[in-house]
Amino acid sequence: MSQIEELREIIIGDNAAELGDLKNRLENVERRTTDVAEVLSPAIDAEFRESQARLVSSLQKPVSLGLKKAIRAEPREYAEILYPVMAPSIRRAIAQALSSMMVTINRTIESATSVKGIRTRIQSLRTGIPYAELALRQSLLYRVEHIYLIDRETGMLIDEVAAADTQSLDSDAVSAMFSAIQSFVQDSFSKDSSARLTDLRVGDHNVWVAHGPRVMLACVILGDAPESLKAELYDTLDLIRTEYSAPIAEFDGDNKDFDGVPNLMAPLLQLQLKDSAISKQAKSGRAIVPLIILALVAGFFTYQWFDRSRKVSTVEYYLRQAPGIATTNVYWDNDQLIVEGLKDPDAKIPYGTLASYDLDENELRFNMIPFRSLEVDMELQRFRQEMDLPRGVYLSARNGRVFLYGEAPILWLSNNDARIRQLSADRRLDISNLSASFESVSDMLRDNFDRDDLSRIRMSSLVEDQLTVVQITGELEAGKLALLSALFAGSRWVSITARQRVE
Amino acid sequence: MSKKKICMVGDFSVGKTSLTQKFVNNVFSEKYLTTIGVKIDTANVGHTKLIVWDVAGRDSLSSINASYLVGAAGVVLVADGSRPHTVDDLNDIWSTVTQRIGDVPAVVALNKADLDDWGVGDDKVTEFRSLGWDVFNTSAKNGQNVPELFERLVEKINA
Ligand SMILES: Nc1nc2c(ncn2[C@@H]2O[C@H](COP(=O)(O)OP(=O)(O)O)[C@@H](O)[C@H]2O)c(=O)[nH]1
Ligand SMILES: [Mg+2]
Repeated sequence: MSQIEELREIIIGDNAAELGDLKNRLENVERRTTDVAEVLSPAIDAEFRESQARLVSSLQKPVSLGLKKAIRAEPREYAEILYPVMAPSIRRAIAQALSSMMVTINRTIESATSVKGIRTRIQSLRTGIPYAELALRQSLLYRVEHIYLIDRETGMLIDEVAAADTQSLDSDAVSAMFSAIQSFVQDSFSKDSSARLTDLRVGDHNVWVAHGPRVMLACVILGDAPESLKAELYDTLDLIRTEYSAPIAEFDGDNKDFDGVPNLMAPLLQLQLKDSAISKQAKSGRAIVPLIILALVAGFFTYQWFDRSRKVSTVEYYLRQAPGIATTNVYWDNDQLIVEGLKDPDAKIPYGTLASYDLDENELRFNMIPFRSLEVDMELQRFRQEMDLPRGVYLSARNGRVFLYGEAPILWLSNNDARIRQLSADRRLDISNLSASFESVSDMLRDNFDRDDLSRIRMSSLVEDQLTVVQITGELEAGKLALLSALFAGSRWVSITARQRVE
Repeated sequence: MSKKKICMVGDFSVGKTSLTQKFVNNVFSEKYLTTIGVKIDTANVGHTKLIVWDVAGRDSLSSINASYLVGAAGVVLVADGSRPHTVDDLNDIWSTVTQRIGDVPAVVALNKADLDDWGVGDDKVTEFRSLGWDVFNTSAKNGQNVPELFERLVEKINA
């Protein structure tokens, strides 16, 4: 025995054996495993009691990685294990999708063909609310529009979910107001402090409330929901209460710890359409019924398609005929036939004709850009309004040109000459057969000259510069000749070639 | 955004409703005040959404509307500067508040500062300050100090 060993023997004495044993325990893996195994389970239990969150978070990653790996390695086995869990919900989802599709089809047939459907269509036209929206409202049994999770004591909103396209007031104010009403009711009508407001009806809306000790779940429903929804409301509330017990206890206006709550509440946003006669029939189970329905649907849509495209071509056809209207696009927008294009302000839409083809004025909407049509018919109409044609003067259109012709009173010609000149210079008006009437010219002469003078002058017609002109010839004494020239001065419709008479 | 509930408290007709109106987004009609005794509006102050409870009352806080105090993160004590007794009443009102919800942050509005017959002595203001309250001379009529009042309360709540 070395001196060192002797010394040790003296210092630790009998304990040497124990130390050796300990050393042995540490070095022997098998032994250590048994030791750890012994305390592993109690250790987990203790830590779980101490800090649930810490344990869960340290186990989460390895467990989930392990699971992933295991599932990847043996997908069939896991699928079989999970099947009983998942199948019912998959089945339910499919059944739900099918039945809601069925309801939608029924609804469409019903609403499109029934008197009520037609009335709805008219109502939609009148109010501007889309047909689909109105039809939905009418066939809605109930729809859960809004769900509020409210802190009971403070009335503060913790979280909310709302159905698409429903709008509401400031939710924070609503939920506070709601809990105020709650305590108001309690204080006013009941000495029993456990009495609670659970149902509330406001017009078409119902408010149902599930109460927990610290939070309540208020559910705003349009229409009448089945009692079973109440059970779901309580189930959801219980779920939230257990999963979020700590954040609920500590809630002070900050909802950052309530991340998953909207997902828990969202399934409550249900809607149910009214049962209809047709859908009851469908449920009777005869296989032929769905086929009939399908045929009806197809038939209806085909008919509607035909009817609609027929109307488009009718409108296109008759508007093309109408002067001063040029359409660029005719199409359906919901229940309105939209006509886009150009329209002369003077043009008339042939409503009468269209009506005889079952096209109501209300069904048509014109988005037209105003323009001046140079179409002859339009020109004709416009000139007629503009010029107040005297007797013996005519306007007509031929070969794409407008003709102003006939014998016009000389005064009318003088008054309108500037305009006529302009239009004919634009080549919009042909005036090659327009002339002053002999009658009107001779009337003027008769007013200014005596019988002797009149006997010395003649009138004839001649074409000058493509214009038919009244030519006055003869011999007059100087003074009378000057008067004659003055009378027709500036008029291109009368040409004076009379000469001075030599005594 | 964090949300905080606050309550307007003070005697009848001191201007609680008028001060609230001046500051918040109106959601509900005034008739709720008379029918159920309370009306709630909201206002955003910085990153805090204030949920303001305006309580109707004949005199100081009655037992019923004291229950509306629960969960309030702060209170606005409102008095009418032209009626000294409403200022004195604040001490009683404060004790109702503390009994119910404890020593929450508070600010004092000595309202109707636009009126000539002002009846609040400096000693009263000093007393209030010594209680840890910030005191504002406000007017719901011309808006004087109204935003400052609410902003100060939010600061104290978030401090
Ligand atoms: N001149 C003046 N009148 C006020 C002011 N604030 C409120 N009032 C008036 O005082 C009366 C009571 O106000 P109200 O807000 O209803 O008081 P509440 O009972 O505390 O809610 C009303 O006639 C208000 O117009 C103010 O700052 N100046
Ligand atoms: Mg008031």
